[in-house]
Parts: sequence; C-alpha cells; structure tokens
Amino acid sequence: MKLTFALLLLALTATPAHAQGGPLTVEGGLMFWTIVIFAALLFILWKFAWPQILGAVEAREQALEKQIAEAAQNREESARILEEQKKLLQDARSQAHSIVSEAGAQGERERTLVLEKARQEQEELVARARRDLAAERDRAIADLRREAVDLSLAAAGRLIGQRLEGDADRKLVLDYLGTLESQN
Amino acid sequence: MTRRILGILTLTLALLHSPAAAQEHGVESQESRVDGHEVADAGHGPSDQIDITHHIGNSSEIETPFGVIHLPQWEPIPIGGILLDLSPTKHTVFMAFAAFVVGLTFLLSARSVKRAERAGRPAKGFAGAMEAMALWIRQEVVLPNVGHHGAGYAPYLLTLFFFILVMNLLGLMPWGATATGNISVTAALAVIAFLVIEISGMKALGFKGYMNTIFFIPAGLPGGVGGAILKPLLLVIMTPIEIIGKLAKPFALAVRLFANMTAGHVLVLALIGLTFIFKSYSVGIASSALATGIMLLELFVAFLQAYVFTLLTAVFIGLMRESH
Repeated sequence: MKLTFALLLLALTATPAHAQGGPLTVEGGLMFWTIVIFAALLFILWKFAWPQILGAVEAREQALEKQIAEAAQNREESARILEEQKKLLQDARSQAHSIVSEAGAQGERERTLVLEKARQEQEELVARARRDLAAERDRAIADLRREAVDLSLAAAGRLIGQRLEGDADRKLVLDYLGTLESQN
Repeated sequence: MTRRILGILTLTLALLHSPAAAQEHGVESQESRVDGHEVADAGHGPSDQIDITHHIGNSSEIETPFGVIHLPQWEPIPIGGILLDLSPTKHTVFMAFAAFVVGLTFLLSARSVKRAERAGRPAKGFAGAMEAMALWIRQEVVLPNVGHHGAGYAPYLLTLFFFILVMNLLGLMPWGATATGNISVTAALAVIAFLVIEISGMKALGFKGYMNTIFFIPAGLPGGVGGAILKPLLLVIMTPIEIIGKLAKPFALAVRLFANMTAGHVLVLALIGLTFIFKSYSVGIASSALATGIMLLELFVAFLQAYVFTLLTAVFIGLMRESH
C-alpha cells in the first residue's frame, strides 16, 4: 500500500514538469529554497531572537534548578547533622545510664558492706555480752555456792554443836553439792 | 451546466492526478482545461471558469491587485543528471516573505522584551503576546515531549512552528499563496525534521544505541541454536520495518500539512466556484456564507497544522531519544 503510493508519487514526480505540473510534483528548486530559507531564518532567530525572548525564563529555570539542588543539599546536610546530634545524644544517654547504674551498684556494695560490718559488730557485741553474762553468772553461782557452803557449815555446826571449820568438812559439803549437781 | 460540473470534476481529478491525467489525455482541448497555466493565460479576458489547480499550484508569476508580476526564469543547473531549477516561483516568494515576517516579528519582539526586562517589567502589547506564544510552545509542546534537556530543541521547534504558521496564514490573505500547500515545501521541512530526529537519536543514544534503532534484536530470545537461527531471521525481517518506520514519520508530516492546506483551499475555491456555475444570487449568498465559515475553519486549521507539525516533530524527537 505504502509502496504503491510511493511508486505513484515517484511516477508523478518523474513526469516532466510541463507547464508547472500538478500539486504532487516535487520541485527540487523549491525544496532547495525551503531548506535555505528555513536554515537562514533558524540561524537568525537562534542567534538574535530566541535567547532574548526565552532568556528570562531560562535564567529563572536555571535559578530554580540551582535552588532545588541547594535545598536538596541543605536537607542532606541537616539530616546528617541531625543524625550526628542523635548519635551524640544517644552516647550521652548511655553514658549517663552507665554512670547511674555504676553508682547504684557501688551504693549497693557499700550498703551490703556497711550492713555486714554492722551485723558483725552487733554479733560481736552480743557475744561479748553473753560471755560477760556467763562469767557473771558463773561468778554468782560460785559465790552462791560458797555462801551456801558457809551457811550449811554454820547450820550443821550449830546443829552438831561443834565448829566445823576444817578443810575436810568443806570438802565433804562440796562433794555433796557436787552429787546434787550431778543428780540434777 | 452539466459540462461545467464535469469540468469541476475533471479539475478535482486533475488535482489528484494532474500530470498523469494530462499525459493520458494529451488532447489539446483537454489540456487547456486541465492545465491551469494556459487557462490562466487565456483568462486575462473575461472568463467564468475558476481554475483551482492554478490557484493552489505553484507558478512563475504572482497576481497582485495591480497586475501580474512575472518572476525571472533562470537556467536550470544540472547536478548529476537532475536539473535543479532555482528560479523563484510564487511559493518561493511567499515562503521568503513568511520568513521575513517571522524574522522581523521576533527580532523586534526580542528587542522589546529585552528592553522591558531591563526596565524590570514584563513585555507589553504585541511583543508580550509573541513572548507568551513562544513560551507556551516551549513549555507545553517542546519540554514535555522532547524529554529531559529538551530546551536545546526549542529554537528549532519554535522557528518551525512560526514559519509554518505564517506560511499558512499568508495563504489566507487576498492574493496570497500557501507555500505549505506545496508538497515540495512540506517535504523539505520534513527532510529537515527527519535529520533533526535522527541526529538527536545519535546524540542521545550514541552510535551503538542509534544502530540498535535500525538493526533491532528484541531481548529475551532463546540462546543456543534456536537463537542463532532466530536472530538473523529477525534482523532480516525487522530492519526494513525499522527503516520504513523512520521514513514514514516525516512522510506523514509532509503529506499531512500539504493535504490539509490544499484541501481547505480547494474547498473554499469550490464553494466560491458554485456561484459562477449557478449564476444565482441565492446560491451566491449561500456559498459565500459557507466559504466564510470554511475560511474561519481554515484560520483555525492554519494554527492547528503548524501546531501538529511542531508537536509531532517534538514527539518523534522524544521517542527517538528514549528508544533503546
């Protein structure tokens, strides 16, 4: 279809241009002039008209593009700075956290230490008190026992009407008391 | 009466087929009717015939309200067996005039825009309108279609648009001639468009990428023996198709502009011709009203076709630059 049309066009153009030819006649001279005139017009306008007419818009466009690029760069920069700040903040926070926890642990250690010490002191105190008490009691018992021996001897001497003052007598009573103690 | 209607029909036929028809018939009496030139020569005397072909065709003389200007005839220059006749014709003159008008308009507009810019205010009046039109073409036609960095193609496309527009509009003037109604002019513009499209492809895609738009092998072919057979086969089939595809675009551009400009003028002339055929007031009024309507339509078409030629060239450049 296209080929036949192209052939037809060729046939139409190939016919000698008697008079001026038909509307489908391709005139080489006119094509030549078209190209020449268009090229000249394009050159003149490209050089002297379009830059002036489009210049303002192009300048504005370029300025806009530059601004957009700058804004993008600024945004990147600020994002970077923000990230940095966040990191710093994070660091500070973790540092503070570690300090606080360290202090807490330290405090705990101190507390247990103090407590331990207090307990030991208290225990020591109690032990000493108990020891003192025991010594006191022993002394008291010994005193009581001596008193008891003296009393028993005095009572027994009055009873048998003689003075029981010999060491042998004292030993007898003490032995007796010893048996009582063992009986108990 | 019927003879005249037949005459119009012959003219329409002649419009489609003129040289061939002239050759076929070849009879003197037919020739004088079919061939516009001789009728026009004879038509210095009173004639009730309108020769449409003569009005829309090219010739070496220009009709003005003050008489006919005969353009000089130069000896054709032989270039490799082809005779190149560089003598100015009606269409050459109107084309040059259009270029002069466009050049003058935009040189003056540029000066006035520059002056306004220096004064820190927008351009006013005619220059402002021209600036707005140029900007509109740049923003709405060139940049969206040509693709990224399309601003470099704006000067060419702007010049193309206004050049075609003024040539179209000159054809609507009394005693005017439509250079864009001549296939040689539109063909030459299409040749330039073709070169611009292909060179833009070479610039954007590189030599290898550009060659891919001619010798195209689609991706995803099977490898091995099947691919080894398929690839040459596809090359043989696709290469002519790609080349035809490249040539069809400017061909369509040329024919579209030529056919649109020619058709409108034939219609207007045919409508006016009805008056002379029927020689009646009522037909005269009706056909004049119709012709006025068609003229208004033509005014629109003059803008539309300049726009379409420019838009399609921009689209083709964009397609070429984007193709892989």
